[in-house]
Amino acid sequence: MSKLNKIARKSTWVDMTAFVDVSFLILTFFMLATKFKPPEVIKIDNPKSVSSDKVDDKDVFKVSFDGEGRVFISFSSDKEGKEKAQLTAEVLSRQKGLGLTPAEISTFIKFSVGGIGVPVTQLKSFLALSDAEYKQFKQPGIPVADTLNNQLDTYINALLTGTGGRKPANVMLNGDNGTKYPYFKNVLAAFKKNGIFSFKLITSLEGVPSGTPMYKKQNPQAK
Amino acid sequence: MAAIEESGGGGHKKGAGVKKQARKDARVDMTPMVDLGFLLITFFIFTTTINSPKAFKLNVPDDTAKEEEKNEAKASGAFTVLLSKDNNVFYYEGQLASDGSNFKSSNFKEIRAEILKKKANTPEKDLVVIIKPDETSVYKNVVDMLDEMQIADIKRYAVVDIFPGEVELIKATQGTPAAK
Repeated sequence: MSKLNKIARKSTWVDMTAFVDVSFLILTFFMLATKFKPPEVIKIDNPKSVSSDKVDDKDVFKVSFDGEGRVFISFSSDKEGKEKAQLTAEVLSRQKGLGLTPAEISTFIKFSVGGIGVPVTQLKSFLALSDAEYKQFKQPGIPVADTLNNQLDTYINALLTGTGGRKPANVMLNGDNGTKYPYFKNVLAAFKKNGIFSFKLITSLEGVPSGTPMYKKQNPQAK
Repeated sequence: MAAIEESGGGGHKKGAGVKKQARKDARVDMTPMVDLGFLLITFFIFTTTINSPKAFKLNVPDDTAKEEEKNEAKASGAFTVLLSKDNNVFYYEGQLASDGSNFKSSNFKEIRAEILKKKANTPEKDLVVIIKPDETSVYKNVVDMLDEMQIADIKRYAVVDIFPGEVELIKATQGTPAAK
């Protein structure tokens, strides 16, 4: 009888070691294969393209526009990006007579990582917001629709004046699928006006369709 | 405690008792470790993103360039693609006929075959694809079309503003039920 009991008790013990192995294997995969989501204030759904170039995250000046056509600028959080954000704020303050204090300029640098999308005139009151308020605040976007008052041009011009004409290494355009073409055209117009003719569009990867010239180029051995 | 007492009790039992205890100690309960592992997995799933964005290089021409420096596009080698709302695509080869007879309707799936056909029939130096998005097209359409240029390996292409006459044609075509 006691022998029978012993057998019954032993069978309830499940060896979890293999389970641990599996769970940590999956964990390792996720740690290596994924990247942390960047803190985005703006919700943007990128279009797909066959382009497979990597996105650089050093010295980035990024212009984003969302589905409603709100335009934002942002800088990368590295040293170069911060320096350029500071120069932009200083020049803007000087050119437009905003009278930004050093504290407000440092707020500009902080907010510029997530995205700044307010008309130049509203910049000072916008920079008075706290971090929590910034996340809640629905920014109106930088006005671009009017060709005479394309304020993205003002921002870019301030940036290039600040750096003495030195362009950021990576100028990026982060657009939403649903944005109407005129917004894109106006953003391009602001770029062109400031002499930025080469930039990168942020897209998500899509496979190259087989049988097309590009596919044949990439796979010369395939017939 | 009971195990120690037991081992101290009988001399002949000692060996068996120690053996039993040692075997039991070697078995660690792994359940909390599994819990921890899956907790971390869940955390990583929620805080990270698997599709890293890719960069699509785009060079645009300088509009202020001198007129004579601009590339002359041969009319016969031109292929114009017009983009409109609801992912409608229209195209014509060469110059637009005055009566609009060579103005054709297409979509994003079929346009690739048309571009490739044009590419096969045209000397490479003459081929130029002109993309004209209208006011109602969306950013996705433009990027998709630029992507088609990469897929079809077209060397020369341009994004150009649409002409009012072409807008009229698109409107006329979209108005008829046949265009659906």
